[in-house]
Amino acid sequence: MSQLIESLEKHTDLYVEAFNAGDFDALDAFYTEEAVAVWEPGKPLTGEARREYQRAFLASKPKITAKQRQRFVTGDTALLIVDWVIDTVDEQGEPERLEGIGVDVLRLGEDGIWRYAVDDPYGQKD
Amino acid sequence: MAYNFSVDFDPAKPDLTDDTEIQNEVFLQAFNTGDGAVFDSLYREDSISNFSGEPLTGADRLTFFKEFLSAKPSLHAAVTHSYVAGDVALVGVEYSIDTTGPDGEPVHLEGVCTDVLRRGDDGRWLMAIDRPVASSGLVAD
Repeated sequence: MSQLIESLEKHTDLYVEAFNAGDFDALDAFYTEEAVAVWEPGKPLTGEARREYQRAFLASKPKITAKQRQRFVTGDTALLIVDWVIDTVDEQGEPERLEGIGVDVLRLGEDGIWRYAVDDPYGQKD
Repeated sequence: MAYNFSVDFDPAKPDLTDDTEIQNEVFLQAFNTGDGAVFDSLYREDSISNFSGEPLTGADRLTFFKEFLSAKPSLHAAVTHSYVAGDVALVGVEYSIDTTGPDGEPVHLEGVCTDVLRRGDDGRWLMAIDRPVASSGLVAD
């Protein structure tokens, strides 16, 4: 499924919706082909490795809430600073809460859709 | 005016390159020329700089850089991480700036900065967005 992302303003909300639906294909459409994601600090993933990590992560049905803290938008490139919280389960099946301040770089595609180029969930320390 | 850069730098075709360390050197040396127009040439017309504490683009950004650099501040920076995704890159740096206040007093600023770089259609890398977060002295909060 191809999720249309017409507006950067709604980008975070649409991402949250796809994430909470556990829909990997919908979520993957929010990323550029060459996107880098850093869900484990210091371990950037791209391509198939990024997809595999995310597919596995979504399998335990995590729920996310996210709020844009700051937004800087140029003609075709944007930087979002996002407060997020994820409720998931750990390897033992116990509830686990993850949270951070994401530093996200987005690119406007030629089709007018914003997509993550860099997704760095722990990009800002506090 | 010509400046001596220890790295390749063509003022007519500024390029931060795709190399993280060269990016940092070009950025530092352009800043440390004290010439706001040279430093501003590392940015695209619509690029956003938050050095002033406000997001500035175009002519407002150039005006600020000229004023800010006229006190000949000295910038030091070290890259903490860099992620390249095709034609866009996210670079994190730790920076410190030593400059002079309005009454000639020394001012020290430091913090971390998030930089977004873009590769244009001509292959040159330029700043798209900078976002300093100061831990000491206010550049931007």
